[in-house]
Amino acid sequence: MIIPPKNFMELYKFLPQTNCKKCGKPSCMAFALELLKGTVKIEECTPLIEESKYKTGYNKLKELLEGEEGIKKELKINIDNEKCDACGICIIACPVNARYCYSILSGKTPDYPPDKHQLFLIKQGKCELLNLEHCRRLATEGRERECRICETYCPREAIKIEYN
Amino acid sequence: MNEDKRVPCSGCSLLCDDIIVIEKDKSNYDIIGACLKGIQKFEQRNSKNRILSPYIRQNNELVKVEWDEAIKKTIKLIKGSLNPILYGFSTTSCETQLKAIKLAQKINGFIDSNSTICQGKVLNSAKKKGITTITLTEIINKSDVIILWGFNAVESIPRLLSKVLFSRGKFRLTGREIKTLIIIDTYKNASFKVLGTKDLALIVEPDKDIDLIKILKKICKNNIKLPNEGTAGIDKEDIKRFITYLLNSENIVIFIGQGLLKIQKDGNPLEKLLDLIDIINNKNKNGRISTVMMGGHYNMAGFEHIALSYIGKNQNIQFQNRKLIQTKMNIISKIKERDFDLSIIVGTDAISHFPSEISKILTSRPIILIDNRKSGTYFVADIVLPTAITGIESEGLAFRFDHVPIKLKKIMNPPNDIPNDEELLDKIISKLDKNNVNSD
Amino acid sequence: MEMLLNIVRMIDYDQAFEFTESEIESIGEKLAISFINSKDFKEMYLVPSLNLHLSNKYGDIIVKFKQNENLPKGIILMPVSIWSNQLTYTINGDIIYKNIKIQVEGTRDQITKFDDIIKNLKI
Repeated sequence: MIIPPKNFMELYKFLPQTNCKKCGKPSCMAFALELLKGTVKIEECTPLIEESKYKTGYNKLKELLEGEEGIKKELKINIDNEKCDACGICIIACPVNARYCYSILSGKTPDYPPDKHQLFLIKQGKCELLNLEHCRRLATEGRERECRICETYCPREAIKIEYN
Repeated sequence: MNEDKRVPCSGCSLLCDDIIVIEKDKSNYDIIGACLKGIQKFEQRNSKNRILSPYIRQNNELVKVEWDEAIKKTIKLIKGSLNPILYGFSTTSCETQLKAIKLAQKINGFIDSNSTICQGKVLNSAKKKGITTITLTEIINKSDVIILWGFNAVESIPRLLSKVLFSRGKFRLTGREIKTLIIIDTYKNASFKVLGTKDLALIVEPDKDIDLIKILKKICKNNIKLPNEGTAGIDKEDIKRFITYLLNSENIVIFIGQGLLKIQKDGNPLEKLLDLIDIINNKNKNGRISTVMMGGHYNMAGFEHIALSYIGKNQNIQFQNRKLIQTKMNIISKIKERDFDLSIIVGTDAISHFPSEISKILTSRPIILIDNRKSGTYFVADIVLPTAITGIESEGLAFRFDHVPIKLKKIMNPPNDIPNDEELLDKIISKLDKNNVNSD
Repeated sequence: MEMLLNIVRMIDYDQAFEFTESEIESIGEKLAISFINSKDFKEMYLVPSLNLHLSNKYGDIIVKFKQNENLPKGIILMPVSIWSNQLTYTINGDIIYKNIKIQVEGTRDQITKFDDIIKNLKI
């Protein structure tokens, strides 16, 4: 059984990695991220089909994405309520919050009602997700980042980032 | 929302003062910002095990009684005792702690707080040489290395790491990237998940921390070579990296946990560690190492400050003829030697936290319990007197783990007009006075 | 089999939380629990339906168990509770919570009840 890729780096290693820009994206890394999100098809990278040295890469990509390419996927950040203990690391480490909520710079809870850019809110001892549209992974065209800071630093492994 | 609408939380000794409480309707509140430990404190007000009136044990059952009868029986027990002990007080305000010491003085009792078996041990071990401490604001703004020694921060004080490691203080604006975390423990616990690539994890063998500290002392003092096979289960390269951090950083903070308080191989690892810190602080003039211990209850440091300023001693306070006398006993040895005939337990669950050999002796004499919900001690107590929850239903002063005073606020009224700890102790003291005047 | 017991704080198994939230009869479901390494689990021929009998010269209790791969061999963890304090002891006025020597074996008996511990303490 093929496990669907979680990380765009798993797709990047099978691309030409020449940054030729024939697909219209600024780099092979950007194309890999778009492939994961389902906004482009594998065939849009023309060197993969035209040149025989990339054939194994092309076959592997077809196998990994298994017919799900081109179907637009949504970013989901799932927080497991059973595991969360409201430690506040996700709120304070998030770079978007650091720009808009000044209280968190010294480790304090942000103001209430929450700022319209604030991600995550701690209420009744559990963490809730807010304003997903302001996450750094979904920033405006070309400035998206592969940001997994909340997922990496949660000590109870309660946050999972996925596309589906 | 203004900064001064925020309320301090009395869940643990971190005493976060940035909690926001929103009143939705009568007795229904939204609590923003508190971790699970803090929420548990706020939920105590509606607990199904909350005690709402006094109880007295008759024929081995607890029977509900009126306040007058309960106070009368309490006074009778106290007057009939020659050698009472008072214990707890780390979940009460400083005003209550002062009243309790005055009560102990009046009845020639022995009074001690939870601090003797926890946070207070660090101060005790530092009596000869002194200790460098640091405040939370300084840790946020100036520290660059955080060491957790025998302390699992994620499972005991959830918000600590978010405040000291991930915050972006005034002189540490890049936050996590510029701070280093070093964890020393016997197994890979939940705190290890927060480690990054530049951090250090040392897994020591059980009861061998003292060997590691001895080697570090020899290296820093006499500059001897590292043993090739490492020590205490840690290899040579890791010890080298550890020493480099200790000798070349600007501001190191060591958080000590229960793991380092046990006597190992007839040596006290805490004393040896404080010696090592002394040596390094003298050697490295551009840097400084501070030591901190955090307790589970929110006012352990408060009792020590109040006792020290009122009577001149911070722990193990024994009164005789209304005066302080010397004693080498602490609460555990007092109970073990059966040197008491009545115990008054305030705000703690002594039966569930002491070893069974101590709890069995404690239950062999009468117990007066002052607390707000059922616990192990409730099921063996002879008199139970309920009080309001400090920090939610009554206000008071508390001292944080770094000895900074924080004023706790009153958010709502207690149910059933229950008195707070200070009012109850006041009532007992004045009834004792009245009885004395009548009998003269 | 002889092993070492470590009593630690755990957010999911907190005695103060259980006394606040749960019925007194059922706090044993959450607190009478221990954690053991998978290799020890195999060596002692345990199965998940059994319970563990922990004993030393200060007391003995029967608790449930769960597996934890992060533990080194020969160490058992328990959360701070009235159950684990049946095995702790004191030396010179200090309470010992870490690296306590105990005997461990599998058993089919039920876990020790809270009422029985309280009865045992009242002598």
